[in-house]
Amino acid sequence: MPPKGKAANKTKASETTKPTQTTTTTTAAASSSRTTPPTTTTKPPPPPTTTPTPETVLARSEARYAAARPHDALLRQKGGSLSAALSHPEQTAWLAARIASRIAARPALSSGSSTAAGAGAVGKVACGGGVKTLREVWKIVNEGGLGLRVARVRKSPPGGEVGVREFEAKWERKVVLGCLEVESRCFRTRWERERRGEVEELTGELVVVTEQEAFEETRRRKEMAALRKELYGGGVGKEGKLAMDPEWDDVEPVVLEEPEGALAAISYSADYAEAMAYLRAVMQAKEHSPRCLRLTEHIIGMNPAHYTVWLFRAANVFALKLPIPDEMAWLNGVALENLKNYQIWHHRHLLVENYHPLIAADPSAVAEFAAAERSFLQKILAEDTKNYHVWSYRSYLVGKFNLFNDGEELAAIEAMIDDDVRNNSAWSHRFFLGFSNPDYATPGSAATEADPGVPAVVIDREVEYARDKIRLAPQNQSGWNYLRGVLVKGGRKLATVEEFASGFVKGLGEGEEAEDVQSTHALDLLAEIYAEKGDREKAELSLTRLGQKWDRIRVGYWEWRRKCLEVPA
Amino acid sequence: MGDDPDHPMEPEAEPTLDIDRHLKYWKMCLQAPLPNHYLSNEGVRMTLAYFIVNSIRILTPAPTETTPSTSPNPKPPLLPPTEHRRLRQWVLSHQQPGGGFAPSSTLLSPPTTTPSSGGSAAWEAETGASEGGTTGTAVANLPATLFALQLLALLADEGEEGAARAFEGVDRVQTLRWLRRLQRGDGSFGEGVSWMPGKGWFIGGGYDMRYCYIAVAVRWMLRGDVTEGGEGWVEDWDTVGLERYILGSQTYDGGFAGSSQEEPHAGYAYCAIAALSLLDRPLTNSTPFHPNKILHSGIRNMPALLHWLASRQFVYLEPPPGNPDDTEEEEDEDNFLLPARLADLSLSPAAERHVACNGRCNKVADTCYTWWVGAALANLGRRELVDWPASRRFLLDKMAHRIGGFSKHPGGPPDVYHGCFGLAALAVMGEPGLAEFDCALAVPVATVRVIEKARAALVEAGRGQGAELAKGAVDMGLAMRGAKPAWLSTVGW
Repeated sequence: MPPKGKAANKTKASETTKPTQTTTTTTAAASSSRTTPPTTTTKPPPPPTTTPTPETVLARSEARYAAARPHDALLRQKGGSLSAALSHPEQTAWLAARIASRIAARPALSSGSSTAAGAGAVGKVACGGGVKTLREVWKIVNEGGLGLRVARVRKSPPGGEVGVREFEAKWERKVVLGCLEVESRCFRTRWERERRGEVEELTGELVVVTEQEAFEETRRRKEMAALRKELYGGGVGKEGKLAMDPEWDDVEPVVLEEPEGALAAISYSADYAEAMAYLRAVMQAKEHSPRCLRLTEHIIGMNPAHYTVWLFRAANVFALKLPIPDEMAWLNGVALENLKNYQIWHHRHLLVENYHPLIAADPSAVAEFAAAERSFLQKILAEDTKNYHVWSYRSYLVGKFNLFNDGEELAAIEAMIDDDVRNNSAWSHRFFLGFSNPDYATPGSAATEADPGVPAVVIDREVEYARDKIRLAPQNQSGWNYLRGVLVKGGRKLATVEEFASGFVKGLGEGEEAEDVQSTHALDLLAEIYAEKGDREKAELSLTRLGQKWDRIRVGYWEWRRKCLEVPA
Repeated sequence: MGDDPDHPMEPEAEPTLDIDRHLKYWKMCLQAPLPNHYLSNEGVRMTLAYFIVNSIRILTPAPTETTPSTSPNPKPPLLPPTEHRRLRQWVLSHQQPGGGFAPSSTLLSPPTTTPSSGGSAAWEAETGASEGGTTGTAVANLPATLFALQLLALLADEGEEGAARAFEGVDRVQTLRWLRRLQRGDGSFGEGVSWMPGKGWFIGGGYDMRYCYIAVAVRWMLRGDVTEGGEGWVEDWDTVGLERYILGSQTYDGGFAGSSQEEPHAGYAYCAIAALSLLDRPLTNSTPFHPNKILHSGIRNMPALLHWLASRQFVYLEPPPGNPDDTEEEEDEDNFLLPARLADLSLSPAAERHVACNGRCNKVADTCYTWWVGAALANLGRRELVDWPASRRFLLDKMAHRIGGFSKHPGGPPDVYHGCFGLAALAVMGEPGLAEFDCALAVPVATVRVIEKARAALVEAGRGQGAELAKGAVDMGLAMRGAKPAWLSTVGW
């Protein structure tokens, strides 16, 4: 059934009768429906041109009623009994009209399939007379121009009177929607036939639904959805993006009914609700397919933090054996748009975990991958220099691909510390690069303990590095923590940096005027150095001055440290 | 309001916690759907529910559980007792047949109406058949499981009977079995286990100290004292392995991270400490301040940990005025910048009126870190290392929002996460009017008592079920052979 051509022929007819004024709810989609307009055959006849056009539907239907049943109108107008209100011929006409309409209401007559005998029988039933009487009735009705079928007087809607133009515009939209529905059903039938591998009846060729047809169907459904929404109001999960898409026709979305009083409900869009309804359906069916992949992308676009959706995406990537670099490339874009997201990095981790075995044996592939990753990480860290997830991933990557000796990695970190000497994330990464290098680090050596495996030259280099950076910003704790960490790793006494630390503390305990502390962290370290050396008095003085003056908010901590001096470890 | 730089020495009145205002905020979160900007948390609704209900419990302690000097609260409760059962039912609807709870209602399949399906789900749960049979993406999730259990206890009916029935409907055995499957070879925990086509079972969730803490908390809440061979016994996971993993995650500067190779983070430090504390916490009438043998003998460098935790505090300074537009956009910009000379700062004690915490070295103030740092130190028995008066002022002057709740950043909008942990920080430090709070389990102490009773009842019910089963077997055996089946005596019948 090709409704398209048929509908196209009627375009002009409908344009001419189109009301000039439409309601404000008319949408773009509805106006675009003019290409597939309604038929005009079922339209009510236009009111006679001689009488003024009724303004409302109620007025019009009353006028029509009066025209079709003049005697009834008269009767109602005058009131009282039939004989008092109407003259004798009027009474006859009134009666004839009633009988005729009762006959007309019989399907046997109206369908035109009945025999004359059948009609007579019905006439008998209807008015109790014979065929002759019936003929008389028809005569009166025809001559009087009386209506056979009379529209009931339309009740006004609760909101008030509906204007005729508005009503007709709505009517027209209903017809348009009907046509679209027929076309859509035709499409679905063809789509189903294609799936079953059926052949065209005429040509004997396999049924093939072209991309163009599918595209048109998507557009058609959008139009239908807009019309339905306009005519009947919207519905969640039924007219969204996916319901529009023929690709999802075979999936019955699992719509969630939230129990009343559920906790922590979030107001989300109908699109999200719809997508989750389809997600539940495909997850239940354990489907893994390109469309599932696209569904996860659709949801991630709305909510990139949904752990389960990411897992389902990973399952699809693996089930479809997608090239992991392709997925990573897609992920890069998502990551740059969602800097604070944790799941993206978990997903990336999972991909790399599965990609690594494929390239591990090929050093050039590893180098190429590492370079690409580093370049991406630099890009994302430029946006957010202390992003915890990115740094976590970076240390994972270094360990996985053994990038400890990769000069570029260390250079990149140095550049970041040069850029912001307070970037503690970069400091932490540097410590990891320096002291977890499997070339020399003792496996399992704790971060807080000495590792004899680390060469002295590395310790020297890192001590020097820390001192340089501390000079730039003495009150930056990152540098001091690093320095202390390096000394512990190297199994060196803290006292080896006593002179350096003392450079930031002047005249301790020599009075308010003389005493100057440039770095509380230096004084903190000095307190520890004095304790290490057994100079309890100076250790105590340092801690006391920290609590009294230089770092009062931590007085509780400095006091605790002071008490610890009393019980030597 | 607040600081007056011209009169720095004038003593100022301490701010007060406006309990009613906070309750108003939580009432809104409880009764109206959360606004759309919570969409990114849609996948973890159970967590949001915990924040909401926990906060209401902190704000409305029963008369017996308040710290001293509280005012009576005659208003009708936000969570009327008549609602408890229905809300618990909602929580339980997230329980998965293979064990654990789903994190969000949108992941649940609607209940099927066919009578057989319930039976088959029960069968799967009974036999663990879902372990091998399911190849889909599993929805049970570790954090959701903890928050669901906490919610069930927070929503228990009143009295002993109510407490005993709080975990009614929880599949203890299946959840403990599922929990075992989340542990990795290195001792750490993931947040869920799912099937990856062509790859096999996969423990998802990254290396994250939070899951380790949650695994220990769930174990403490459900496992009980059932001994091997006893009814309802489930093989424990590798607690020594987890201990080793946690202790090995201390970093060079004393903090804790997901591993020792990453940057330490206050949230992870709390999780590491609380997990170690819960590993050997007694099962009844327990407090976080039990001997804590594992915690105190295990941490490799306790002085460094205390140093690192104490260092999370910093003097909170108002962002410099002048460009109000900047503060909006650059919320991550430094608010801890010190004057060029330390001496300038130390001259003015009024400048130290507010003390904030950050989560990492050289990062910015955030309400939740006052909780993570304060509670971590509380678990270590070192509350005195917190400058509490100034931290409290920071929360109440700078982070409490005028509509109630707490924000993440000064001047920001409140949210349920920071709202809850702002209150938790105050409660753990003994704020008058708030419920007494357990710093390791992150619920009011009264709720801890409920958990203990609920666990005991659940374990007892498991034994009862076994007893019924055994009795049935005896009867059957007697009917069939006229003798008691021999194997029954081997299980102690």
